Amino acid sequence: MSGAFASLQDAIDAEAFPAVDLALRRGRHVDRDDSDWYPFLVDAQPWLEAFYRRFGCELVHRTDGYFYLLPTGDRLGRRHLSSGEMLVGQALTLLYLDPATVEHGGVLTRDQVLAQLAGVMGAEALVRALNPKRRRYDERVAEEAVRSKVTEALRRLATLGFVEVVDDARVRLRPALMRFAEPARETGAPEKTLKRLVAAGELVLTESDADADETDETDETDETDETDETDGADEAGEWSPFAGPEAPSERQPLEPGDPEAVE
Amino acid sequence: MPESRPDPQHVLQSLARRSIAVDLPTLDLCFLAALHLRAERTALASFPEDQLVDVFEQVVESVRDDAAPDAGPLRRATHAIRRLREQRMLARVDGAGVLRAGEFALTRLATGIVAFFLEDETLTHETLTVLTRSLLESLSTVTAAAREASTAEGWRTGVVGPLRVTIADLIAGIQRRQRGFDLQQEQLQREIAALLQADWFGAIERCQSLLDATSATLGDLNQVLLRDAHELQSALQEIQEIAADATDDAAIDADEASRAIVEQVDRIAAWGSARQRAWSEYYQYVHRFLRDVVRLDPSRVITHRVRECLAARSGGRFALTVADAPAIRLLRDVVAPHGERPPVKRRRPEAEPALAEEPAVDTQALLEAAVRAALSGGARGLADVTARVAGGLPAGERFVATGRIAQTIARVSRPDARAERPWVPIEDGLVIEEWVLPSWGPQVDLPGGEAGEAAERAEAT
Repeated sequence: MSGAFASLQDAIDAEAFPAVDLALRRGRHVDRDDSDWYPFLVDAQPWLEAFYRRFGCELVHRTDGYFYLLPTGDRLGRRHLSSGEMLVGQALTLLYLDPATVEHGGVLTRDQVLAQLAGVMGAEALVRALNPKRRRYDERVAEEAVRSKVTEALRRLATLGFVEVVDDARVRLRPALMRFAEPARETGAPEKTLKRLVAAGELVLTESDADADETDETDETDETDETDETDGADEAGEWSPFAGPEAPSERQPLEPGDPEAVE
Repeated sequence: MPESRPDPQHVLQSLARRSIAVDLPTLDLCFLAALHLRAERTALASFPEDQLVDVFEQVVESVRDDAAPDAGPLRRATHAIRRLREQRMLARVDGAGVLRAGEFALTRLATGIVAFFLEDETLTHETLTVLTRSLLESLSTVTAAAREASTAEGWRTGVVGPLRVTIADLIAGIQRRQRGFDLQQEQLQREIAALLQADWFGAIERCQSLLDATSATLGDLNQVLLRDAHELQSALQEIQEIAADATDDAAIDADEASRAIVEQVDRIAAWGSARQRAWSEYYQYVHRFLRDVVRLDPSRVITHRVRECLAARSGGRFALTVADAPAIRLLRDVVAPHGERPPVKRRRPEAEPALAEEPAVDTQALLEAAVRAALSGGARGLADVTARVAGGLPAGERFVATGRIAQTIARVSRPDARAERPWVPIEDGLVIEEWVLPSWGPQVDLPGGEAGEAAERAEAT
């Protein structure tokens, strides 16, 4: 089947397997910049596809040059990206598609991400989108909260392999960001594309902006926003992709197969 | 004398103290450039004052500067010349003072600035090869001179001088061109981004050729650097070995000078590999961009749709699914106890130890007995009794014991109550009143009497 590995056992015996396996199971996207992992996955792909299918997930290889594990059953844990992560991910995708970022080899700062978000969405809409529970808010505190959430989203996206942390101030864009552009790649009607992607388990449709994070019981950041008006200032601090709380956000998604999911 | 390197801290402090600054408006820079070009074309070493004014007027005419339309050209030329002289970019070289109009020449600072903007001094395969070959030839001459050097003068003129001037200048030339190459790289990256922004799909071929040309240049440069740096290092090492074997003091200077050159050669070689690495990353990124983004989205529809989706945040709201298996739990190793495990019980406090009756010790009675024994042993003064009784006690107890001894003596004896009682030192730096004691015989203790008062004083002391 595979040129490099004669059997599944050979693939599992490979030195790279444990690290790659753990990374994939934790949602990491592996691309050509992962100089040891990517060639291993290319060689072992035929064996590992069957292997992971038994765990109820698909080893996906995109033509953009990256692998990831997509859970299609309940055997392997999964999560859906939070509203903040989605917003930042889409802004990063726009930057990835922008020829201006080519000048610096795809390396950019948080300020550039914030400028992109504010430029495309508008500052007011951005603040509203990242502070959905607040009806009244102090402008300065809300802006601090936005900066803090963008920082946190960047950190989480880095752990998933969408960006690479270069240093405390900069990140490098990676090909896996094209996953955010997946619904926009097909020429057909957007609803149809989304329906297909939901059916494939690639994504879930979420509820309205204001409701999206309110259903999240584990999203600590949003809970504190509701009551503490100074939290944003405290959390924002210095820009570092490694700073910030650890708890991943988990929302109540509309599962694939759910009749409401594609309505 | 070995050439000592200046301390960067001192250099910076000196610059700050002298308030060194360069202020060069565009017009002044153009003026300097015009002087530089004219000097090159006409092989002039200096300019008479009227020629300076002429050049300035031509510059003003050609750049059409409207910054000070009211001032006359002569006046503006005078100001410009003054500014440049104050900043040491133009120097008077005739030394005639007030006798006649002066002759002016561009300084090293001015030619350096102008050369930066005018001369395209970048590293190419040809320039690097010429420079490294010249370096190797010069080093072989220096090596030969080092082999033959037998006097201090021979070392200085044949080895140290060429190392510090000729070789150092050639190396500085390579480093200067390396900086020029860095600048060119930066411009190239900007150019590729601008090409893509302007002509997206149509810019692919042009970008590709720019990338390939630069990759080839960088590869060539790195190859030359790797090959020639090794030869340069070998030649320098030979000079160092010859200098180490020589007994002359000037050989130490040669050793230091060649060591400094070795460091510079190392930096030059490191530059090559660092740029190759950085370029490789950039090259891969742009290649991927051209292949995965530009070719697959020739009309930029994807960008448009993603932008719309992000801007609207309505309708197709979605969230990507990612795997999120929890980390494997590793249980810690526990060594099981041998045999049967004891049942789990509440821990009981340990029982209190049983009490035993012990006879009480009357320390005062013991002290009194000891005092009485000392008195009957012939002691005739308080200091004598104290020394006998408290001498055997630990140092920490003697101070307290001294007071108690005096009290006991006052009770069991009758000290001589003189008005003048001398203070005498005893052990451990203590000083007490000396009481003269009568011959030992049983005494009646009279509370409140002289002995009682004396005892109270001793206690207080």
